[in-house]
Amino acid sequence: MLKYTIRRMIYVIPTLWAVVTFVFFLIRIVPGGPAVAALGSYATEESIRELEKQMGLDKPILVQYGIFLKDLCQGDLGRSLITNKPISQEIARALPYTLDLALGGMVIGVLLGIPTGIITALRRNRAPDYIGRILSLVGISMPEFYLGILLMYLFAIKLPLFPVLGGGDLSHCGSRLYHLFLPALTLGIIMTAFISRMVRSSMLNVLGEDYVRTARAKGLHERKVIYKHALRNALIPTVTVIGIYMSILMGGSVLTEIIFSRPGLGKMMVFAVKDRDYIALQSVIIIFSAFVFLFNLITDLLYGLIDPRIEYH
Amino acid sequence: MKWSKVLHFILIAMIPITFHFYSPSFAQEKVVRMALKASDIRSLDPHYGTTTIDYACIDPMFNGLVRFKPEDINPDKIEPDLAEKWERSKDNLVWTFYLRKGVKFHKGYGELTAEDVKFSLEKAANKTTSGFAADYAALDKVEAIDKYTVRITFKSAIPSVLGILTNYHGGYIVSKKAAMEKGEKFKFDPIGTGPFMLKDYIPKEKVVEVRHPDFFRAKPKLDRLELWFMPDASSREMAFRKGEIDIVEGEREQAWVNKMRGIPGTAIEIFGPGETLVLHFNLTKKPLDDIRVRRAICHAINLDELMKFLGPDVTEKLVSPIPMNYLGGTDKVPRYEFSPEKAKKLLTEAGYPKGLELSMVITEMSDYRRPMEQIQEQLRRVGINLKMDVITHTTFHQQIRKDVNPLVLYVCARFPTADPMLTQFYHSKSIVGTPTAITNFSHYNKIDDLIEKARGEPDPKNQKAIWAETQKKILEDAVALPLCITKFVFARKTNVDLGYEMRSTLTLVTPIKETTEIRK
Repeated sequence: MLKYTIRRMIYVIPTLWAVVTFVFFLIRIVPGGPAVAALGSYATEESIRELEKQMGLDKPILVQYGIFLKDLCQGDLGRSLITNKPISQEIARALPYTLDLALGGMVIGVLLGIPTGIITALRRNRAPDYIGRILSLVGISMPEFYLGILLMYLFAIKLPLFPVLGGGDLSHCGSRLYHLFLPALTLGIIMTAFISRMVRSSMLNVLGEDYVRTARAKGLHERKVIYKHALRNALIPTVTVIGIYMSILMGGSVLTEIIFSRPGLGKMMVFAVKDRDYIALQSVIIIFSAFVFLFNLITDLLYGLIDPRIEYH
Repeated sequence: MKWSKVLHFILIAMIPITFHFYSPSFAQEKVVRMALKASDIRSLDPHYGTTTIDYACIDPMFNGLVRFKPEDINPDKIEPDLAEKWERSKDNLVWTFYLRKGVKFHKGYGELTAEDVKFSLEKAANKTTSGFAADYAALDKVEAIDKYTVRITFKSAIPSVLGILTNYHGGYIVSKKAAMEKGEKFKFDPIGTGPFMLKDYIPKEKVVEVRHPDFFRAKPKLDRLELWFMPDASSREMAFRKGEIDIVEGEREQAWVNKMRGIPGTAIEIFGPGETLVLHFNLTKKPLDDIRVRRAICHAINLDELMKFLGPDVTEKLVSPIPMNYLGGTDKVPRYEFSPEKAKKLLTEAGYPKGLELSMVITEMSDYRRPMEQIQEQLRRVGINLKMDVITHTTFHQQIRKDVNPLVLYVCARFPTADPMLTQFYHSKSIVGTPTAITNFSHYNKIDDLIEKARGEPDPKNQKAIWAETQKKILEDAVALPLCITKFVFARKTNVDLGYEMRSTLTLVTPIKETTEIRK
């Protein structure tokens, strides 16, 4: 397993290189540049050229690419073209907000999604199943920005329980959680919908298997049959989905961060696109990609823990 | 199972209550929180700040030698700020300013002296250290005569010397010591003399400023000012409704104004100078090289309908490219009344009896897109099919500078004298695509002499007459069509007392001054 993990980690390097190279050239093809964005409506041709020179954008693109790769290998992500702050500092500041949100959303999704999936599977074609399925369909169909505003209206305006503004003080756990609840609930509800459907479907498959029938025939308590024999097997595909959704959640945090004014990575990425801040954008994408690889790896490793039949070579 | 469900429910219910106790409370502090339609600041160095959010953050931290009254941008009412008084030579080329004594910079950076003023103005005039160097092209030298006296010499007369020394753009005075000590870091750790000083800048979230206790006018009444970057309109509205935001930048739409007026304890601020909406015709692109086609478009556009669509409360008439409230603005210009018949007749005369087709790009920003969509519909009625591709705002700015559009809608505000707008939009040196390009999208080159003559004219009456002549010529030649002015819209909690009555401001947001306070 250790060998497998190391090998997977090594594979990450060329994949990441391919991603960053693709992103590096792609974002430079898009019209509009950071100098125009930074200078706004006062931009003169001369001032645009001057600022591009200061930003190092007057160099040939291959030279810029070489500098970028060299700096990246030395662990230097560069400085934002707009704020001139080291990107690593900006990412270090934004990353906890996004991780909080993705993890919070996933925790809510798992806590609500798995029981809902089990209940709807066990009560198949009965009222709880219909209600669960309709709600999960609503959850999947509802855009997160709309759900976010709806929750904000309910739990911040009508019932003034939670704040609508900011991500809280990073050094203050209470403040951080207080500001996290509504955004995490927004993503959590959507995750609940996905996970509950997945669990329901897997459970229905497993409940029809011979070993479940055998367990029941042996006279095992129904709870033991469900939780030990059925759920454990049903969780294998669910874990895959959770792993994939975790990656999606990282990216899906973008709109939620904008709606709730959380200064996270998703928000940083959107504004980097808007401002054509190439350095910030490529750095954020590197971080996002790294997390996608990490979550995929964790998912693969979890298979082995859940399903002893799986071996790593 | 049941008990665990109940416990689960109780735990969830406890979360807000528990966290609420942990959340930081600022009940004792007098804080104003303002939410602006922005993603982040570009720079807090006043000589680089070009966006509305930059202005909003910079203005409370800095002063100029002179200033506009907080509530009014009338250039005739400019008053002393860091300078107590000034005198000028007969030819208007040499100006001597006498500084206030005892003005303190933030965070222990010492007393303001003539050296700081000299450094700041030279910095503002240098294109490697300022985004506004072009405004100071006529500046010859700045001399520190003694600790509190500064002499400024110009190479040639300019329309408004006090204008470029106000609390706006390059006119802000910075601490020489801090700027030299901090270098590039000064952009995000600036030192000025204003009523508030920077406490914290959280990228993509907010700027926090706190009271400058030694501010020379008076001790600021607020403890803290927070400027939040909130690009999403719904989020800004929710935060305002919740009371987490005290002043919010609004949408320049009648519907938004009406909706916000319905919130108890809310005052709506609609103020000038507003931004001019002008449609520029590219004279080098067919068929707009034919004046009959340009005039046909002018006659086809129903300005009353456009203003009604944008909202009567948030718009104002604009008859000339220079607004009436700018120095040099006039209404003695040719006008193109709305007449689809005339438009069709002119198109027929120009050889387009069946109409014509034009293609252009437009930004996704609603301030541009909405009026342009309305114009598109109006032009369609006279047979002009205007195809529009919607692109991002940054790309739009780049594309219009590459001469992509036959028609360019440009929305802007400038220093309230005629010269900046005339120079930037109608002088041949500003034609897009040239090395000295600014924003002359029309490629117009027939009033250079008039613009330059007005700039150097010492007699204000004659100067205004020449400016009026330039505007008359622009409209006679149908180079551009002034559409309207859209004003700035903000909602404010009525318990926030600004300390002045808001009419107009160049910072484009409600200015927070030392007089601003929270009333119970």
